[in-house]
Amino acid sequence: MGAIFMSLVELRGIKKYFDKVRAVDGVDLEIDEGEFLVILGPSGCGKTTLMRMIAGLENPTAGQVFIGGADVTALPPRKRGVSMVFQSYALYPHMNVFNNIAFPLKAQRREKKFDRRAIRGKVVDTARLLEIDMLLDRRPRQLSGGQRQRVAIARAMVTQPAVILLDEPLSNLDAKLRANARDELKEFQRSSNITAVFVTHDQIEAMGLGDRIVVMSDGKIQQVGTPQLIYDDPANEFVATFLGSPSMNILRADAWSFGFRPENFLPKTLADNPENSRIFDYYVKRVEYLGSDRLVYGYIRGRDSELTLAKVPSNVRVSLDVDSDYEFAVHNSDIKFFDRVSGQRIEHQDLGGVV
Amino acid sequence: MASVTGLSNPRAYLLDNRRFVGIMFLLPALVYILLLVGFPFLLAIAFGFSDVTVGNTDLSFVGFRNYEAVWENNIFRQVFGNTVMFTLVSQFFILIFANILAIIFTQEFTGKWFARFIFILPWATPVSLAAIGWLYMFDTKLSPVDYLLLQTGFLGPDGVWGPGRNLLWLARPALSQVSVIFVQVWRMTPLATVILMAGLSSIPTDILDQAEVDGSRFMRTLLQIKLPLILPIMVIALLFSMITMFGDMTVVYLLTRGGPIDYTRILGLYSFQIGIEGGNLAQGAAMALFAFPLLLALAIVMLRVASRAEVR
Repeated sequence: MGAIFMSLVELRGIKKYFDKVRAVDGVDLEIDEGEFLVILGPSGCGKTTLMRMIAGLENPTAGQVFIGGADVTALPPRKRGVSMVFQSYALYPHMNVFNNIAFPLKAQRREKKFDRRAIRGKVVDTARLLEIDMLLDRRPRQLSGGQRQRVAIARAMVTQPAVILLDEPLSNLDAKLRANARDELKEFQRSSNITAVFVTHDQIEAMGLGDRIVVMSDGKIQQVGTPQLIYDDPANEFVATFLGSPSMNILRADAWSFGFRPENFLPKTLADNPENSRIFDYYVKRVEYLGSDRLVYGYIRGRDSELTLAKVPSNVRVSLDVDSDYEFAVHNSDIKFFDRVSGQRIEHQDLGGVV
Repeated sequence: MASVTGLSNPRAYLLDNRRFVGIMFLLPALVYILLLVGFPFLLAIAFGFSDVTVGNTDLSFVGFRNYEAVWENNIFRQVFGNTVMFTLVSQFFILIFANILAIIFTQEFTGKWFARFIFILPWATPVSLAAIGWLYMFDTKLSPVDYLLLQTGFLGPDGVWGPGRNLLWLARPALSQVSVIFVQVWRMTPLATVILMAGLSSIPTDILDQAEVDGSRFMRTLLQIKLPLILPIMVIALLFSMITMFGDMTVVYLLTRGGPIDYTRILGLYSFQIGIEGGNLAQGAAMALFAFPLLLALAIVMLRVASRAEVR
């Protein structure tokens, strides 16, 4: 027996109930060393609670947390070798940047035997790495949002933790800054090779950052996999509709439903493989011009009650007039089938009698 | 005729006027301050420069004569010293106890609600009732405290504080001062605690969670995170408590009437005794006004400290 490769963090049967609310309801998960793992889910799905249990800020109702092969379930945060970046950054407002970054070092100086000079060295090195070394004397309120985020990351990195936990750290930045910060964060994680667990409700962040994504809903893991796997091969209807903007079109049959993404639903003239595609008679009700795409609202003839969207790139010269009928095609492999009761993916069904 | 907006009555009413509504909201507070604070204050200043007594209510201007008399009064000097000493010593203990209690009451434990309720009682009790209660506790013959000390062997023929059977809490110079300070601390600690509790619970949980993940233990979190963050509110609590203490006379009036000799006589009490009981309104007023510049300076300094310590 004995696993040769032990994952860095392992969660076994984790549950957390707050009175009757099942915040986390049986989660098993392994996180590998050096991995950037994103936990993605709508608000209230238990993702932050799960992260807080890895940090030790919350005790699981049931289950175990292992870090580096050791059972840390009963240990306080300071004995777990983790650090955390909160959504609010939680910078100590009365300390300057230097003292903020130095705080975890000072708090752990006895265990780790840091002297004053070692602390100064580490703080300055980390600050330089994050390009905030000219801000060391500033107070948090004198910093911009992006600078605050860097200070929070520096403080989380300075102790060289086994795992860094990030709770929606980009959501307080304005949209322009966010793409930039995302890129820097990923670059930084890759170069320092640190293991990161990143919680977010933003699918673009998740897709862009994650080596793997854990999709959560109702306290349970819905699917774990690479961004591409989760997007192209969703395990169930929740994952299929949660990812993608606009979300996947779902059409109901008796015992199952089927769906396809708006960007895979294109005028037949544009389909590259019409013989392997399913052709639908599509009525165009309204067209939104979004710059790079045209978002088409309409329905498939015979299924007038189910709004069906198509996302057609603007650069293809195909005219789509409102209040007209067109033939639209979806490649057979882009049509996903789900059980109507469980929502789980099922094998291909015959669409013949349905549409 | 209907207008374009479809509103039948496009007139602005008086209550739509923000300025008017603002003044209306401020009015009760203004009336209160003018009638019950401003008027007595101006009256006291007028009295302080006059020779008014209970018997002769003609106000004739006498300049600084009252203030000179008060300043040369040896009893006044001791009274002033007592007041400052009582205030500082009691504030010292109040601050320590209030901090400890606020930290305890912001933790989770069973029976917290009941403990909080019991604890707030000294503050909720009217001062006069509380003082009468303590008068009994400190009674020369019947003091339950003495009884306990007697039973445990601290008092009585062989006791360390013997051979007497009573400590005479309110009759000995130093002990009477201790007793008065004790009652003041007992009575003022709850308010300070409640203010500090509000301060502690206003610290964002993220900050405290962050400190915990950063590896900080109880004492470090307390000294380096919590206390610095509640410093502004602590200064305000201290200011409130000091001003109340400085002007208070109820506790000493009921417990000791200022005795033995002048050991527990404080400014509020003495000016009341001279001005009202003794009938010398002018000198009583002058005496009370001595506290004003001191408290004003104190308030300015402390508010400035509080706003400087404010970091958000």
